[in-house]
Amino acid sequence: MAPDRHIMGLFKDEDQVVSTLDALKASPFEFIRVNTPIPSHKIMDALKLKKSKVGWFTLCGGILGFLAGFGLAIFTATRWDMIVSGKPIVAIIPFVVVGFEATILFAVFGNVIGLLTQMRVPNQDWLQHYDPRCSGEHFGVLAGCNAQQEDELKSFFKQRGADVTVFETG
Amino acid sequence: MTQLTYAKIDQTILDTLTPPKRGYWIILVLLLLGTLMGAACWLYQIFVGMGVAGQNNPVAWGTYLINFVFWVGIAHSGTLISAILHLFRAGWRNPIARAAETMTVFAVCIAGLYPFIHLGRVWQVYYMLPIPTQRLLWPNFLSPLMFDVIAISTYLTVSSLFWYTGLLPDLAAIRDRTTGLRHKIFTFLAMGWSGAHEQWRHYTRGYLFFAALATPLVISVHSVVSWDFALGIVPGWHTTIFAPYFVAGAIHSGLAMVLTLMIPLRKLFKYEDIITMEVLQNVAKTIVLTGLIVGLAYGTEYFIAWYSHNSIEMEQFRWRALGDFRWGFYFMVLCNTLAPLLFLFKKIRTTIASLFIISLIVNFGMWWERFVIIVGGVAHGFAPHAWGLYAPTWVEFGIMIGTFCLFFFLFMMFAKHLPSVSMTEMKETVAGGHDHGA
Repeated sequence: MAPDRHIMGLFKDEDQVVSTLDALKASPFEFIRVNTPIPSHKIMDALKLKKSKVGWFTLCGGILGFLAGFGLAIFTATRWDMIVSGKPIVAIIPFVVVGFEATILFAVFGNVIGLLTQMRVPNQDWLQHYDPRCSGEHFGVLAGCNAQQEDELKSFFKQRGADVTVFETG
Repeated sequence: MTQLTYAKIDQTILDTLTPPKRGYWIILVLLLLGTLMGAACWLYQIFVGMGVAGQNNPVAWGTYLINFVFWVGIAHSGTLISAILHLFRAGWRNPIARAAETMTVFAVCIAGLYPFIHLGRVWQVYYMLPIPTQRLLWPNFLSPLMFDVIAISTYLTVSSLFWYTGLLPDLAAIRDRTTGLRHKIFTFLAMGWSGAHEQWRHYTRGYLFFAALATPLVISVHSVVSWDFALGIVPGWHTTIFAPYFVAGAIHSGLAMVLTLMIPLRKLFKYEDIITMEVLQNVAKTIVLTGLIVGLAYGTEYFIAWYSHNSIEMEQFRWRALGDFRWGFYFMVLCNTLAPLLFLFKKIRTTIASLFIISLIVNFGMWWERFVIIVGGVAHGFAPHAWGLYAPTWVEFGIMIGTFCLFFFLFMMFAKHLPSVSMTEMKETVAGGHDHGA
């Protein structure tokens, strides 16, 4: 069931966030997310996040690019298959350049597609229950609770030195 | 120097985005006029013909190709700083990475203009594209010029995407601190970035892959540019040393351009606490290294010519030092190899004025290096009766000045409308981390 209240504790220190996350796990409140101005390895480790799958998109893009690059060079060469000075029509060594560049290009396209799909952007829904201070100097821990637990969750954050923002709607 | 905090980083960098003063607009208008002058010269060339440029037999590749190689070279250090130093976890890159990446994108755009200009009949540019047409002709991928088309377009695409990806958290930070139309624009540009842990988890990984892919790309691109020359049999060009020589030279010139751009930016935007003297010193030390590599390449070229006992190759290099364009050769040796050695003196590399002046000297020298290689090779080839000289015409000078103005115009526009230092990466530096990489 979706929580009635979304409350964000805003911290200025990563270590406080990590200890709050540990405490939150043992509490009745629902952890939703952390918004941070920087990628924090301490916080990521505390959340025990799985490895991102972006790399698979990159790899698939790279393989596709490798095939596309060589394929393009071979296809275009065979459209005019006149042997000049005994040189091969399908010349692998020069085509490596085309294959290599296409590998990088398509791997980057794959990487971008991976980022867009995995991060789920563009999507303004990420800004629901978001405090703009999280792109400045604050680390925001967002948790949910029912209406009766609101004061309890607020004091949970305040006890740990956080400023508190309450988002009214569910 | 004051201690950097997240708030101070935000304030310092966001302050640079406030409405500019009149001086800014005056300079911008002058640069725009310079750009329009260059465009007018190009139009003149299109209407009258390539004959208005000084390129003719035997020197068919003049300033257009010199500037092409020069600007591709400038682009390279942006990727060195943003990708290669990122992989090496060199934290000092963070304050200058954004400006260097931006420099890369604009420099590749400028470089990409020159083959268009050099084409003459620019409307036939689609001949280079692998698209089916009624002519039933396809590009020849055995040609190094086609390697160039694919390498440069890949480089422009990748560096632009890398630049935008790095910019994303900062666009969100600006979105959160603006109102009205600017807020709407930055809300669109930030694509809903909120710095949620789920976003960072994928972002750090993706950014790392970007860096890992951009690193071999940057090396390949200038190698490909060097093969435009090295795969020809022209004396002075046909050598295996060209790829590493060009890559080192590219990074050398690019680092010099980073200093040229960052020093005024640091002063105007009061970035002294962010772009510290240590950062500038590190760039200067890297310039010493790349200058020595370039110097080694100059020497090795002479060694190869002597060791080959090839009389034509030996004559080419004798003429390079003693012939009609010898002053170009002296410029390149003095400016690219000897002048950067002054950075070995701490006094010189910690003085802003000397850093700036030497960076200009290296830029100047690197332009002349390309002149010596490109013009020198074809001007003094195999057959003495086909030797000749070359001098740019006013049209070429006009176009060259126009493209320099366009580069600085674009950079000034960027500096006042987007964060010229990465707020996120600076915060990571303060937090004791290195950068986006997972």
